[in-house]
Amino acid sequence: MSRTSVRLAATAATAVLAVTGLSGAAAADTTPAPATAASGSVVVHESTAFIQQTAAAGVVVVPLPSGQPGYDSATGFSATFPATGGDANLQAYYDKIDLGGGLLFVNLLTGRTAIFKQLAFQADTWKLTGVPLGATAPVNLLSPAGDNQIGRTGTTQTLEASDLKVDAEGAQYVDGKLNTTFFQGGQSIGSLSISFTPAG
Amino acid sequence: MRKTAAKLLTAAALATSLVSVASGTAMADPSVVPATQDIVGVGSDTTQTVLNQFSTDYNAYLTGLGDTTSPRLYSFDATGSATITAKAGTTAFARPNGSGAGITALNQTSPSVLPIDFARSSRAPQTGDLTTDIFVGFAKDAVTWSAKSTGSNAPANLTTADLKNIYNGTYTTWNQITDIAGYTGPNVTIKPYLPQASSGTRSFFLKAIGVTTLGANVVTGPEENEGTDVALNDANVIFPYSVGHYVGQVYGGHSSGTDAAGVLSLRSINGVAPLTASNTINPTFANPTYGRTLYNVVRNAEWTATTTKGIALRNIFGTSGWICTNGAADIASYGFLTIGGCGSTTHI
Repeated sequence: MSRTSVRLAATAATAVLAVTGLSGAAAADTTPAPATAASGSVVVHESTAFIQQTAAAGVVVVPLPSGQPGYDSATGFSATFPATGGDANLQAYYDKIDLGGGLLFVNLLTGRTAIFKQLAFQADTWKLTGVPLGATAPVNLLSPAGDNQIGRTGTTQTLEASDLKVDAEGAQYVDGKLNTTFFQGGQSIGSLSISFTPAG
Repeated sequence: MRKTAAKLLTAAALATSLVSVASGTAMADPSVVPATQDIVGVGSDTTQTVLNQFSTDYNAYLTGLGDTTSPRLYSFDATGSATITAKAGTTAFARPNGSGAGITALNQTSPSVLPIDFARSSRAPQTGDLTTDIFVGFAKDAVTWSAKSTGSNAPANLTTADLKNIYNGTYTTWNQITDIAGYTGPNVTIKPYLPQASSGTRSFFLKAIGVTTLGANVVTGPEENEGTDVALNDANVIFPYSVGHYVGQVYGGHSSGTDAAGVLSLRSINGVAPLTASNTINPTFANPTYGRTLYNVVRNAEWTATTTKGIALRNIFGTSGWICTNGAADIASYGFLTIGGCGSTTHI
């Protein structure tokens, strides 16, 4: 177990460094900054059932900086990703929300990983996507399901989804990278909360 | 147990497949008087035909499953007889024409609550709507302007500023349009038309072009999304038009009687064509300015209830309901775009 922990720590550290390095490259973008930057966040709430299932399968899912893990006794575990850009109009199902941070999936039994950067919520396809490390095309990871309520107060848009399901494309990709058969398209992992104010 | 579930799923998939392939012809109005428990809607002209198809296919789907007890789905057109009897044993009332009229009918409490369960709406929630009304999205459309296919004095393209100036009365003749490359309009009066006042297409179009006060020369009247009104057969007419409804009429084979494009064809805005080369809605055109979500509006108290009606509403319109899981072919056939967030709700 301790060897696994060491391996996990080393793998995660490598992943974090890799993503941080990419973030540094992105910071070199010379696009003029808007008067007010995009703000808000996408919060993935993980259900207790999903946490138990991942633990039993030897899989952990970790948000990478600037994503933040969280725990609340009422809502359980969560991962929060800050909105960094995009021009999504949720009511119009248009454009996307760019998110900071990344997602790390680890197979504790083998140390194999899957890492996603350039996370985004695509308002047109209604999916949370991520670009695998070393790739350029996004992969569909999660899809809001259940009761989806879109709100707007001033320029701030919100989405509350009572269910959040694994997308078949993401399941296939992550299982392939981890060499597991744990993830399934349609698998429920919890719920989703979005609050987003576009740059102004 | 797993085998049973798998068998059930296979049977359901097969039934769905058969319904998709062998769907019946959509009816203009229900061919039967709906029963008390059925889910009945009124309102938007733009979405009436696709809702009629949903009704035909959803009811066939239930029948195909051997379900004879669940509420059926019915939808009354925006135009037709002056009055409709929405459900058995109820009093006839004036047929609501348009999104606004449908929503008003849904919320009527005096002199009596009307026997309807949803309103078709081609506009989003707006100031004045009730917070207790829930708009459930199911597809995307866009709105552009149209003119006579042949012999029109209108250019192929107008800017948003041109449209604003035409509909607020600043531009009254074609030669006042000077920002369209290669176009020199004649010194002839423009005839800007709008659909009737309760039309969701009308309110959406005016909001998109930024007009709050109409020019004195703007004519209100023709039924929306129909180019068959004789008044529109004029070289100087322009008229807003649902891009999706047009695609359904012209390329989906869903014209019927006056519900047809007639003499009109769609024109571009800001140099962006409303249609792709394969005659579908151009996603670039369907941006938040000229693109719009299509909704069915329900009462929140019923939408969230665990009653037969609440369950039926969610089974039809919800994220896991029939329209969102089986309606894509109908949506495409009637010219609209599917949306990833089908079944999502919003309100004012």
